[in-house]
Amino acid sequence: MDTFALLAQGLLTALEPINLFYALVGVTLGTAVGVLPGIGPALTVALLLPVTYKLDPAGSLIMFAGIYYGGMYGGSTTSILLNTPGESASIVTALEGNKMARAGRGGPALATAAIGSFIAGLIATLGLAFIAPWIVSIALSFGPAEYFALMVLAFMTVSAAFGDSALRGLTALAIGLTLGLIGIDLQTGQARLAFGIPDLLDGIEVTTLAVALFAVGEALSVAATKSAREQKIEPVKGSVWMNREDWARSWKPWLRGTAIGFPIGAMPAGGAEIGTFLSYSVEKQLTTKPEEFGHGAIEGVAGPEAANNASAAGTLVPLLTLGLPTTATAAIMLAGFQQFGLQPGPLLFANNPQLVWGLIASLLVANFMLVVLNLPLIGLWVRLLSIPTHWLYAGILMFATLGTIGANPSSFELGMLLAFGLMGYGLRRFGYPIAPVVVGLILGPMAEQQLRRALAISQGDPTVLVGSPIAIVLLLLAVTAVVLPMILRARGQGKVLAQLAGDED
Amino acid sequence: MSDGNQPRQERRPDRAALVIAAALAVVAIVIAWSTANMGGAATYARIGPTTFPYVIAFGLFVLAICTAYVALRGDFPQREEQNFPPMLWIVGGLAAQMLLLKTVGFSIATGLLFAATARGFGKGPLWMTVPLGIVLAFAIWFVFAKGLQLALPAGPLERLF
Amino acid sequence: MKHFVFASILGAFLALPAHAADYKIMAPAAPGGGWDQTARSMQTALQDEKISGNVQVTNVPGAGGTIGLAQFVNQASGDPSQLIVGGYVMVGAILTNASPVTLDQVTPIARLTGEYEAIVVPAASDIMDMAGLVEKLKADPGAVSWGGGSAGGTDHITAGLIAKAVGVDPTKVNYIAFSGGGEALAAILGGQVTVGISGYGEFASQIEAGALRIIGISSDEKVEGIDAPTFKEAGVDVSIQNWRMVAAGPGITDEQTAAINADIEKMAMSETWKKILADNGWANTYLAGDEFKAQLAKDIESTSAILKDIGLVK
Repeated sequence: MDTFALLAQGLLTALEPINLFYALVGVTLGTAVGVLPGIGPALTVALLLPVTYKLDPAGSLIMFAGIYYGGMYGGSTTSILLNTPGESASIVTALEGNKMARAGRGGPALATAAIGSFIAGLIATLGLAFIAPWIVSIALSFGPAEYFALMVLAFMTVSAAFGDSALRGLTALAIGLTLGLIGIDLQTGQARLAFGIPDLLDGIEVTTLAVALFAVGEALSVAATKSAREQKIEPVKGSVWMNREDWARSWKPWLRGTAIGFPIGAMPAGGAEIGTFLSYSVEKQLTTKPEEFGHGAIEGVAGPEAANNASAAGTLVPLLTLGLPTTATAAIMLAGFQQFGLQPGPLLFANNPQLVWGLIASLLVANFMLVVLNLPLIGLWVRLLSIPTHWLYAGILMFATLGTIGANPSSFELGMLLAFGLMGYGLRRFGYPIAPVVVGLILGPMAEQQLRRALAISQGDPTVLVGSPIAIVLLLLAVTAVVLPMILRARGQGKVLAQLAGDED
Repeated sequence: MSDGNQPRQERRPDRAALVIAAALAVVAIVIAWSTANMGGAATYARIGPTTFPYVIAFGLFVLAICTAYVALRGDFPQREEQNFPPMLWIVGGLAAQMLLLKTVGFSIATGLLFAATARGFGKGPLWMTVPLGIVLAFAIWFVFAKGLQLALPAGPLERLF
Repeated sequence: MKHFVFASILGAFLALPAHAADYKIMAPAAPGGGWDQTARSMQTALQDEKISGNVQVTNVPGAGGTIGLAQFVNQASGDPSQLIVGGYVMVGAILTNASPVTLDQVTPIARLTGEYEAIVVPAASDIMDMAGLVEKLKADPGAVSWGGGSAGGTDHITAGLIAKAVGVDPTKVNYIAFSGGGEALAAILGGQVTVGISGYGEFASQIEAGALRIIGISSDEKVEGIDAPTFKEAGVDVSIQNWRMVAAGPGITDEQTAAINADIEKMAMSETWKKILADNGWANTYLAGDEFKAQLAKDIESTSAILKDIGLVK
């Protein structure tokens, strides 16, 4: 009961008009900066944190919560409308979202993303408030072997984005894995595939690769292809708002996305991207309209968007309960909390209940502000697509390079943007899927490091990989996910063949 | 299935796809060569820093062979006629921005990219789009560099402010 | 729409004052890390104490700071208005990356803050103290897994130094590298590794809460408020400090060096700086001039020796 009283008190403070105004400013700023491709939530929070210092603790906490959720949300808008993921957690959103936008359904896509983010944020923030200690004990039981099993499970999601050719899908994945090798090996400190170039020692930046493949590659491809240039994009076809069918197809993915994203976000080595990959794959398996996947299925936007926002709240679980900053964003937030006199750690809930519940109340209010701000704007956002193609792509490239320059102002990084952009063009021209390249770059190094950690701790004994129930369950799930569709397909073909045979009679 | 009276479609080897297969094979060889020259370090894991590169190199090599096979059968998807000058404008714009960024600053370099991209999509003339791009880029620079302390390279134009 | 966004950003920030540039500090790391925080704290302190009118921070991330260092040596030559933040991690990164640019090519100004390395075990561990750890290490070095930051970093170096000091082959240390402090700490709390090794600050709140037990600290003398023996007190002759420093460019005159020294000393003695140190939990290990240079030379020498022993540098 004490918990509810504290939360209610926090909410009362957060709902004062001046604090609501701060929440609005925070959400607006966070969205505005987070929307830039290449500038993810970490840089957004780092850039905007100093602004909050000038306010009183309650006000700054609220504005800060707004910036965080705004930054997390901003990336999905450009993903959907411009096929330019703002950060790695919204790459999956671009797959179906942009297809929807091109078919004149950008409005429903943005709406399902906004509402899904709101619902996921709401549930996950309440989860943070009430079941954080329980979630964290599960997260801590994940060792390298369990993470490796999770990565294996995540790898099977890549096949969901393979498109129509397994050969080209696997090739795209292998290119991503190759890029993931570049840089200093974490376990031994040795440089791999860097060829003596210092700029390559830290590896390929995921956002640089994603922005180049998606945005630059697409600009080149559209410019060079006559039919694509002449293709008219209709900003709105039908209603700008979600219809009854959209709602019916969205609500379950929202809840499933939340259920996947929140615990994975809470895991110290989970990361927001993994949740979005898993959610996309789950929705593709469960959908009643599998033929729409790859051509603008609303489930493919609703699930991953909910997952990425839920994992944003999930990140706060280890941060607040253990003082563990598990992402770059969380590390910057830790610095921010210290400014407010919060010392995140195991004793935080006991020592500073007022501030903790104030923060949780602020997150709820910020989450609400986000949807209030964004729903009315959807009509405006989709109009971006009615900008003439030449101005639109000129603007996209301007913002794409701004993001890259802002994160690392070096000519080398821009050179990589150009080189990968040309690669993205080549991949498109020959019918290779784009997403597996990025997924390979993200998952490859994680899977390798976890496997090697697991084997080093066990001194080379491979049985450690199936040494715990969690690992076994995850690996079984991965096997099922690969084998089950094959069986179903084989059966389905059997039925079709039987039918054909029957027709011939 | 009978193929007796259906006209068999002429399938020619796809040369561009053969180039892809060759490129994949070259990448595989480069990875293997570079890894072989790395020199391993002692670890307790049986899997060291060289294991994954070798596995990936092997995988790429297999994919190269499969790609070559598909290319010889001509099974790659149909491709549209390409129009290269627009592409060159965009590539040129990106290259110009990359090379000029440090000397002329963010606004002018990015303005050139903007104009070159618009030109690639058939919008000109440059005497109008270049100034427009520079003005837009400068507005962005002002907001992010002055307002948010984002380190965007400054050139002669930015130093005036 | 665009206008609205721009107007709202402008509205919020135009209030910030603008001055002529006095110092340009390079943080050779991405925003958010320790060097970036140090650079931005210096910015605050120098401006608030009116030592400098305007201080700009630039980030050049990559390769343990060596990319930033190379660029700095190039750009800041003979320019007394440019400073770079760096630290002990750079010493190791220069060696392991075979960086063409070294710390000899900058003008060291002062060591500002530092942190000692702590060794911890989960509360349920059967290792009670350093002696228990040393015993296990001698019995079977591979059975003791050490969780810490990236290979070749301060944590790895400390583990290697400890093994060497107790007569165990440093190449036999079973070191498990984690990216980022949070991931390593989670593995230690979850009992995935035998011991954890990292800066004391990473562990402080867990030790306080009783989830982790600290068995040793890398300082020369006992540190106030830390209830643990130093490695030396426990019979392991190792002391190490993960320090952060500020340096100026190459080729500046002695007068210019003295002027910068005076500014930094004024900053380090100011109330603003002391408050920043306290807020962030950084220890004040201010050391300037020739004493710092001597310490730096000693660190470079011992680090290069241990990295060779571990097998990271040939």
